[in-house]
Amino acid sequence: MINRQELARAFVDSLTDQLVVTGIGNACNDVYAAGDRALNFYMRGSMGAGVPIAFGLARARPNDRVVCVEGDGSVLMNMGALATVGSYQPDNLTIVVLDNGAYQITGGQPTHTAAGIDLAAVAKGCGIESSSRVETLGEFETALDKIMGAPGPHVLVAHVDRTLSDPRAFQPRRPALIKYRFMGKIGTLEDVRRLVWE
Amino acid sequence: MAWSDVVLECLKANKIQTLVHVPDTILTDLIRRAGEDDDFDVISPTREEEGVGIVCGAYLGGRNGALLMQNSGLGNAANILGSLTVPYQIPMLLLISQRGELGEFNTVQVGMGQALRPTLDGLDVPHFTMEREEEVEKIMTGAIKLAFSTDRPVAVIVSPLLSGGKSL
Repeated sequence: MINRQELARAFVDSLTDQLVVTGIGNACNDVYAAGDRALNFYMRGSMGAGVPIAFGLARARPNDRVVCVEGDGSVLMNMGALATVGSYQPDNLTIVVLDNGAYQITGGQPTHTAAGIDLAAVAKGCGIESSSRVETLGEFETALDKIMGAPGPHVLVAHVDRTLSDPRAFQPRRPALIKYRFMGKIGTLEDVRRLVWE
Repeated sequence: MAWSDVVLECLKANKIQTLVHVPDTILTDLIRRAGEDDDFDVISPTREEEGVGIVCGAYLGGRNGALLMQNSGLGNAANILGSLTVPYQIPMLLLISQRGELGEFNTVQVGMGQALRPTLDGLDVPHFTMEREEEVEKIMTGAIKLAFSTDRPVAVIVSPLLSGGKSL
């Protein structure tokens, strides 16, 4: 089992110019705490929408690599999205699933992965051939390094613990600001790109 | 020109590139013709909520999009519209075919048909209804301009008065 914050730090340290979409809850909190960047799009709600947003982004930005970081509960809520990804095969999309077997931020109720439901096998069944599950930080780093340089789509399910988010971690709260910063950074909003920001 | 051809021309003229659709009888011709047109990236999700997410992601990446669905789909998409599209100020066109109204034969279509406009009102999504062929171009063009100039989702409803509805 992997410490979730250690995984988030290893993940953020490995990033270069990838576009990152983080799902609601600890996926957002941990990635933010590990190192904020303008190329991160943080979700504040809409449980289950991380994969669809990242997929739409990957379609629109074929020359960028897109990474979605989601929790197991969110993926379970919108599992059909894996079938869509498998059907369209976006080669620039990677989905990292933080699987702690619990809806942790709502009180730790167990998810179905706690009963042994295997999301990597689900992803494979949805046609995402490069789907795997890792149990240690070393395995995660090795797998991430391998798939970041290879055509996707990829699903990497990481078995993580249920540590709480760092209470000092500031959660980005203003949705419109998250959007405008992200789009301003990648240059998809002309007027935002032209504004002077400092 | 058939109303669905005018809709397609308006989408193209206003640079709507990403078309996400959940199957619907009334929108069948539109979806088929869009799929044959290289100007559109036509995507079929498993559910309307997922479709909203895909259109939002495409917009972040620089492509304007629309979601095509039946009014039943709005029920599936209500939360993501209220929690993503509206607060993040992400513009999109929702093209919604109306069931459960004039000429409806299927009892189970009526509930969501009646809830359509109150749901959009509750989510603060402006909506306009196309009933006659001569108003299609103006409503489509105006709705797209409103959405993408003011960064909000805007719905255009296809009335059975325009589409003829669905008969058995």
